[in-house]
Amino acid sequence: MSEVVALLEARDVALFGSKAVGLGQALRDGLPVPPGVALAGPIVEAVAGRDEDAIRAVDESVRPLGGPLAVRSSAVDEDGADASFAGQHLTLLNVPGADDLPSALNEIWWSANSDSAITYRQRLGLFTRPSVGVVVQVLVAPECAGVMFTQNPVTGEDERVIEASWGLGEAVVAGRVIPDHFRVARDGEVLERVAGHKSITCRSLPEGGTVEEDVAPELVERLCLDDEMLRGLGGLAERCEQIYGPARDIEWAMAGGTLYLLQCRAVTRAGA
Amino acid sequence: MTGPSTEVLKEVPLFADLADDELAQVASVFKERRFAAGETIIQQGSGAAAFFVIASGEARVLVDGEERRTLRPGDHFGEMALIDAGTRTATVIASGAVVCSGVTFWDFQPLVEENGVIGWKLLQSLIEVYRSERDAEAASP
Repeated sequence: MSEVVALLEARDVALFGSKAVGLGQALRDGLPVPPGVALAGPIVEAVAGRDEDAIRAVDESVRPLGGPLAVRSSAVDEDGADASFAGQHLTLLNVPGADDLPSALNEIWWSANSDSAITYRQRLGLFTRPSVGVVVQVLVAPECAGVMFTQNPVTGEDERVIEASWGLGEAVVAGRVIPDHFRVARDGEVLERVAGHKSITCRSLPEGGTVEEDVAPELVERLCLDDEMLRGLGGLAERCEQIYGPARDIEWAMAGGTLYLLQCRAVTRAGA
Repeated sequence: MTGPSTEVLKEVPLFADLADDELAQVASVFKERRFAAGETIIQQGSGAAAFFVIASGEARVLVDGEERRTLRPGDHFGEMALIDAGTRTATVIASGAVVCSGVTFWDFQPLVEENGVIGWKLLQSLIEVYRSERDAEAASP
């Protein structure tokens, strides 16, 4: 079994982690996932230790993607039933290209071995060697992005809940803005649309990394999704539920008129 | 090669009795880690699983919020984590950009398990540290 595969071929959770396999499955099911490569935990560790053979193997697979890249951790036990390592293991957006990947993988490997990650693991009774797979994808430069719950995560109502903001979805995920809020019925009827206060946007820098910028005043409280976009998201929600089952937590991005699926996982309900 | 030199490792009491070839084995499991200015390298009270040697830059050591000393290239911290993966007894913060060589509990343990000579010498070093601390305690009024 190769330790570097196209995301489409990522099937082994024990090797590539749940995020990589989830995205691989989404691609196999025809969902609009940006192309990428999955790296198994052992090769991530080897690259982090500057093993030249490992660096060469990763480079050969990643270089054709071009850049910029989104480099996301995919811990083997990440997003499991009992533990979520979200926030512990690093995601690096806008890594300029393959030349910068070894340093990015070194950072991600250490994020799984940092004191805070170790403390977190000990609290969960998981004092075992961390293994961190990685997903390397082409970074989309979205006009807007956000999250969508295919079932209301608070009330349990059978409706889509969508939160959206300008630029990269990190502004929403990290709670840096008050995002636009939408509730959409399964049949597509928009039940509620509340403009947020989106005073900053997160965007990629040409030299790598991301930056927060002020949003033009006229856009701060303007809704960033129209009816057509909401219909597109409704269709994506339906397709994800058909494939993975009900109650999905989706990260999405809209770039150049195309809707992308960035992540799809089971909803973790408040208080669960 | 991202590990520290054998000369630097020899300065660590835990590794002081190891021969050069054994030190080279230890050095081979280290990985480079970079920290930005102001970044917390280790946090007092948190779980610990890595030992670090500073390759470049300086870092401040704080215990209970009180500044104790400055670490410079060649200085090391966190070696007890390699043995028992206990909690950190101090906080270390990068003063400027810092490059460290680090090794985790999980990389160190198999090295010791596979090499009885290294294991035995480490045990002797630990006893030496224990004896000197005990003697210092007995000598204090």
